[in-house]
Amino acid sequence: MRRGAMALALPLVFALAGCSRVPEATVEAPAPRPEAVMDFHALYSANCQACHGANGHGGPAMELGNPEYQALVDDATLRKWISGGMPGTEMPAFAQSAGGMLTDTQIGAIIAGMRKEWAKPNAFGGATPPAYAQDQAGDVKRGQATYQARCASCHQNSAREQVTSVVYLSLVSDQALRTIIVAGRVDIGQPDWRLATGKGVAGPLSGQDVTDIATYLGSLRNPAAVSAAPIPNPAGR
Amino acid sequence: MPGMKQSAKQIYNWLERRLQVEGPVKDAVLHKVPRNTASWWYVFGSAAFTLLMLQIVTGILLALVYVPSGAEAWNSLNILNHQVPLGWFLRAVHAWGSNFMVAVVFIHMAQVFLFGAYKFPRELTWTVGVFLLLMTLGMAFTGQVLRFDQDAYWGLGIGVFILSRVPIAGGSLVHLLLGGPTIAGATLSRCFALHVFVIPGTLLVLVAMHVWMVLKLGINEWPMPGRLVRKETYIEEYNKLAHEDGIPFVPGAFWKDLVFSAAVLAAVGVCAAVFGPSGPSGQPDPSITQTVPKPDFPFLWIYAVLSYLPPSMETPFILIAPILMIAGLLAVPFVASEGEKSWHRRPVAVLALSMVAVSWAVFTHLAMSTPWSPHMSAWSGDTLPVKYLREATPLVRQGAVIFQAKQCRNCHSIGGHGGERGPALDAVATRMTPDQMRYKVVTGGGNMPAYGKNLAPAEIEALVSFLETLHPKNEPPAFDPSQQANAATASTGGSGRP
Repeated sequence: MRRGAMALALPLVFALAGCSRVPEATVEAPAPRPEAVMDFHALYSANCQACHGANGHGGPAMELGNPEYQALVDDATLRKWISGGMPGTEMPAFAQSAGGMLTDTQIGAIIAGMRKEWAKPNAFGGATPPAYAQDQAGDVKRGQATYQARCASCHQNSAREQVTSVVYLSLVSDQALRTIIVAGRVDIGQPDWRLATGKGVAGPLSGQDVTDIATYLGSLRNPAAVSAAPIPNPAGR
Repeated sequence: MPGMKQSAKQIYNWLERRLQVEGPVKDAVLHKVPRNTASWWYVFGSAAFTLLMLQIVTGILLALVYVPSGAEAWNSLNILNHQVPLGWFLRAVHAWGSNFMVAVVFIHMAQVFLFGAYKFPRELTWTVGVFLLLMTLGMAFTGQVLRFDQDAYWGLGIGVFILSRVPIAGGSLVHLLLGGPTIAGATLSRCFALHVFVIPGTLLVLVAMHVWMVLKLGINEWPMPGRLVRKETYIEEYNKLAHEDGIPFVPGAFWKDLVFSAAVLAAVGVCAAVFGPSGPSGQPDPSITQTVPKPDFPFLWIYAVLSYLPPSMETPFILIAPILMIAGLLAVPFVASEGEKSWHRRPVAVLALSMVAVSWAVFTHLAMSTPWSPHMSAWSGDTLPVKYLREATPLVRQGAVIFQAKQCRNCHSIGGHGGERGPALDAVATRMTPDQMRYKVVTGGGNMPAYGKNLAPAEIEALVSFLETLHPKNEPPAFDPSQQANAATASTGGSGRP
C-alpha cells in the first residue's frame, strides 16, 4: 500500500515541481471585481460614454466635456445626479444605494476625473452666467415672447429643429433645458446663453430670460398627450 | 412544594403510560459507543442538524414578514432589513446559517469519506447522506431565489438555462419550475413552495432516516490501520469494541457535540452581526442590465467552470457531469464496502479528496475575482458613431439616448459594435417604416421581447425618430405606399376607397 502511495505521489511531485520551469507559464493578474475599479477612464468608458460621448463630446446626451458645463455645475450636484439619477430624464441612478452598480468612492473618482480632464480656469471668459439652478419664478407668457424673439430663428417650428415637441419635452427636465441653454454644446456648434453674436443680436440672455424660457417650454410638457398616440398594426407584418 | 412535585410526577406517568417513549430515549441516550469515537472529528453531523433547526426557526420567523410575490418580495426584504426591529439580524442569521450549513455538510461528508465510515453496514446511511447534501444545496439555491434581487433573478435564469438543455423534457421542466415560460410572479410562488414545504419536508424525513441508522448501526469506530472491515465479522467486532471499551453516548461523546454546535451557532451569530444580511442587491428588473450578478457561495464554482468551458463543451458538461458526480458519490459505499478504513492506507481516497478540494477552492477563487461571463454590459459602454448624430435634432438625440440607455445594443449592433442576436440597425430605416418600427418595439416578435410596457410612449416615439434617421444618404427610407396614396388622394381632394 505504501509503495502504491509513493507511485502515485512521485509523478505528482515531479509534475508540480516542473510547472514553474515551463517558460509560457505566466500568471495573469485576475481582473478586479467591478466595484474595485477606480480608474476614471475605465469608469467613464464603461458607465458614461455611451450617452455622453467618448471624451465627453459628441454623444447624444449632455456634453460633459464642455468646460462651461464643468464650471457651471458643482461637485455636490454632479454627485446627486450620478448617484440618484436625474428625474424627468433618462439619466439613471448609478449609486449602489439607489440600485446602481457604482460605489460612492467610484462616483467620487468619476467627478474628480471629469474635473481634471475637462474643467478649465475662466471657462466663461470673464462673463457671469445665469445660476445653474433656477433662482427666481418664471413667467410662461414672457418666456414665450423671449423664445420667439431669441430662440425661434433657429429652433423654428419646423419639424427638424423642434424643441417645443411634446415628445422631446417629455424626455427632458426643466433643469436639463436650463443647463443646455446656459452652457450650450460646443461639440455640435450650439451656443451658450450669450447666443450668437452679430448684427441685431440683443446680447446675452439674462438669468430671468433663461428661467422664463425653461418655464415656457416646461408648460408645453404633456406626457399624456404622447400616450394617446395609437400604435397601428402595419398591414402584412 | 412536595405536592407540586407529586402532581408533576403523576402527569409524567400518565403521559409515559400512553406514549411509552422513555425506554427508546434511554436506549438512544445511554447506548455505548467505542471510546475513541468520542472525538472532535465526529461533531459535524450533529452541527449540521443544529444548523437545520436554526434554519427552520429563523425561516419560520422570516416567513411571517416575507411576501412571496414578484412585486412585493424585494420590498418586503427591505422592510425586514430597515423597519422590522432586528429584522436585518434575522435575515443575516438565516443567510449565514445557510452558508455554514452547506459548509458543515460538505465537511461532514469529507470526514465520513476520509474515515471510511460509509463502509459496511453504513452504505445506506451514506446514500441517504448524498441526498441530504443535494437537498441542502436545493435549499441554498431556492433560498437564493427567494431573496428576489438581481443575483436571484439572473441566478435563476442560469439555473433554468441549464435545465432547459435537458433533451426532450427540458422545456417542460423549465415550465414546471418557473410556473410559465418566463420568470414571473408564479416563479416565486413555486420556489417558495419548494423552499418552505417540499424540500424541508423531504429533508426532515431523510434526516430522521439518517439519524435512525446512526443510532441503530452505531457511530463509526476510529479507523485503525490494519483493522479491515469484513461483512462476516464486522458487526461482532464493533459490538465487542463498543461494549468492552465503550462509554455511554450521553454524556461521553455528546458533550463535544454540544460544545461544537454551540460554537457554530456563536460563529453564525458573530458573522451575522459583523457582516450583516446578504442583499437584497438591485431590483430584479431585467431592463436593468448594469449589473454583475453573482451566485451565492456554494454555486460560485459552477459559475467559474461554466465561464471557462468552451461553448461546444457546455451542453455535454452540464448534462453529463452532474449525473456522473452524483452517481460517483452514490457508488462509493458499494464499490468499497469492505476493507481498510484508515486514511493511512487509502492513498487513492486521500488524493481524490484533496484534488476535489483544491479544484473547488481554485474555481471558487476564480469566480470571486473574475468578472461575470457572459458580459451583459459588453457593449453598453460603446459610443454611437458620431456621424449618425451630426445632423440630429434634439428629439433624435433623445431617441439615441434611449437607444443607448435601454441597452438595445445587447442584441443589435450599430456602427459595427453590438450584439449579433438581432439584426444590425445601421440601415434599419431602409427596411422598415416608422409604423413598423413602432409596432416591433412595442409588441416584439421573433427573438425580440416586447418593450411596450418597459418604455413610455414618449420614449418609443423618440427611439423611432432616431431609428428613422438610420439610412444611407443616397438611399431613401422605407415608406408605406398605402399611406402615400392616401396622402395623395387627400391632397387632391378626392375620396379614398369606394
